[in-house]
Amino acid sequence: MRKALLAAAGAAVLSLGVAVDARAQDIKIGMPMILSGPGALFGEPALKGAQMAVDEANAKGGVLGRKLQLIYKDSKGNPDEAVRVAREMILKDEVDFLVGTFTGAEGPAVSPIAKENKIVFIAPVSKPDALTAPKNLHPYLFRTATTTTIEGRSAAELIAKLSVKRIATISPDYAYGQEVTAAFVAHLKKLKPDMEIVDQQWPKLGEADYTPFINAQLAKQPDAVFSSLWGGHFVTFIKQATPLGYFKRINNNFVAGGEAGSIESAKAIGDDYPLGIWGNSYDAFNWDGPPAHKDFIERLKKYTGQEQPSSWPSVGYIAVQVLVEGIRKANSTKSDDVAKVLPGLTVDTPIGKQTISPKNHSANRGQFWGKMVKDPRYTFAVMEKPMYLDPTPFLD
Amino acid sequence: MTTRLPRTIPWMTIAFALALFIPIFGTRFYTSVATDVLILGLFATSLNLLLGTTGLVSFGHAAYFAIGAYVCAIAMKTFEVPFLLALPLAGLAAGAAALVFGYFCVRLTKIYFAMLTLAFAQIVWAICFKWNDVTGGEQGFNNVPYPDLAWMEVLPGLSRMRVGELYFYVTLVVVCLCLYVMRRITNSPFGRILTTIRENPERAEFVGIDVRRFELAAFVIAGLFAGLAGALFGIFNRGVFPDFGYWAKSAEVLIMVILGGMGQFFGPLVGAFTLVVLNQQITSYTEYWPLVLGLLLIVLLYAFPAGLLGTIADLVKSLRGRRNA
Repeated sequence: MRKALLAAAGAAVLSLGVAVDARAQDIKIGMPMILSGPGALFGEPALKGAQMAVDEANAKGGVLGRKLQLIYKDSKGNPDEAVRVAREMILKDEVDFLVGTFTGAEGPAVSPIAKENKIVFIAPVSKPDALTAPKNLHPYLFRTATTTTIEGRSAAELIAKLSVKRIATISPDYAYGQEVTAAFVAHLKKLKPDMEIVDQQWPKLGEADYTPFINAQLAKQPDAVFSSLWGGHFVTFIKQATPLGYFKRINNNFVAGGEAGSIESAKAIGDDYPLGIWGNSYDAFNWDGPPAHKDFIERLKKYTGQEQPSSWPSVGYIAVQVLVEGIRKANSTKSDDVAKVLPGLTVDTPIGKQTISPKNHSANRGQFWGKMVKDPRYTFAVMEKPMYLDPTPFLD
Repeated sequence: MTTRLPRTIPWMTIAFALALFIPIFGTRFYTSVATDVLILGLFATSLNLLLGTTGLVSFGHAAYFAIGAYVCAIAMKTFEVPFLLALPLAGLAAGAAALVFGYFCVRLTKIYFAMLTLAFAQIVWAICFKWNDVTGGEQGFNNVPYPDLAWMEVLPGLSRMRVGELYFYVTLVVVCLCLYVMRRITNSPFGRILTTIRENPERAEFVGIDVRRFELAAFVIAGLFAGLAGALFGIFNRGVFPDFGYWAKSAEVLIMVILGGMGQFFGPLVGAFTLVVLNQQITSYTEYWPLVLGLLLIVLLYAFPAGLLGTIADLVKSLRGRRNA
């Protein structure tokens, strides 16, 4: 009897020890994110969203009985620095997964590091098609960001609905601008063969004076324009185009990609925002969407303490959510196992169902589009009745 | 009978021998940091050939680093050239570019020279950024392959190492060879002439030295070694990006040289080590790293006016002098 008791006690102690050990072992997620310089304006809220997803999962008891831990480091918007911190997180902090990177260069830069170390890497913001093109795709790489193809085609869908004939584009002359514009033009030609591309302007990235481009474009008399100028470039463009009567001349038929409808862009432009043009963003706090989204926005308001939360937390939140669902489904925290279940996985996210395509490991992530208006409740322009453009119907 | 000890301690050989053990006793992380330090140390030392030895301030040294990186990466990935050929090719390409750019730069002096080097570097950056078909543009030239290092596994002690650790040894050998050659160059009569030019270009001219030609030669040699550093870094980084040629990279390497001490041959290597480690430590704790790093650099530059190694060397010298007196 005594022996049995002792054995039981011993077993209890042992199992307790194991339990404690398991609890101590957090599931570590590494996040390289742009947290300094001008890009921090978007990187900080994206990180916040990821942190919120981690905190929510932990409040519900974690994943597979283990807590999640988010380790983040500043990628500085530099591809080589992103590689360095990704390596540091894998080799020193021993993260189990990577979720992060921001620019179109950082995502493709970190991808080979994930492959080399066999660590699942989910890119929440990097848009280039090349990231998940067949020659670059590998079993550990996934993307919950939208792509240049989706963004360009979404804009084409919008312009195809307008009663216009002469279309023009203005985009920064580098990989992102070229890719998204090519996707736009190709899709528009398919949708409306009678619409004509009358002009394409390619200011260099970081152009300070858009006047010559604006004048040249107006001379071709377009009815509608697609733009992929983003962030500060878009702000500069707007400030120079409005006084030249640019938006009046095209009757506000201006469809602006590059998250021109985000709060950050709207706040930066302030009262000069040309009302009536179309903008997009990754999320919209004023979306009249499903209850799950309204609930998400309420939680986000509490979490960030902002009455009108940014659209960027959504990208970090959904990326972590997809990873967590992957861990649950694989019933394992090993990257090798999670990498096997992620292709084809469907996750209920605040913006609706997101499915990771088995073909290119990318989610069917669309964006919110809407006409920019002035709402007396807010101090900045917002999208009027923002709508989520589900890209599934027009994806290959 | 007494055995005669060598007068100076062979620091370089000792350091090389110690470095051999990093992948064996250190973690994979330390091996990766050491690789980073070695490559950037080579890059900084190549700049010091201009800055410390010849007295030429280049604000565009990253251009040759980028050219070397792109040439090696494109040769290895697109044309499947073996590493043993791609590496010298990268150095030669960077050296050739330095010859062309340098031809114009050495015609100017002081700040005008610096500005022209910067202008050429920005041209290189713009080409890398724009030429999508060849360089991959802004998204960079990715998935650069590691050299085929399977043969190294037959070497004693390296049989079960990963390619990252094996690459460290490749880097160590290449960097040490480059440093050895550069040290020989610095200490050669040619190097002495460069120092003469640094001290007094007018006087050098009067003595009969073709100052421009020697400056151009230094510029080409520095560009060549920067290209080799770039080639090594592109493989280590697994991707090459236009940022490699951006002015910020030129500034970073300039800081390494000044921080370590441009009066010492190994100063830039110490500077590279310090900056890499500081950056790694500070960014692990705060995203306000520019503030902390900036303040630390100010303090270091004030406390070590001749650079870290330079000030230490001065100190040792004065202590020895006192003892001998």
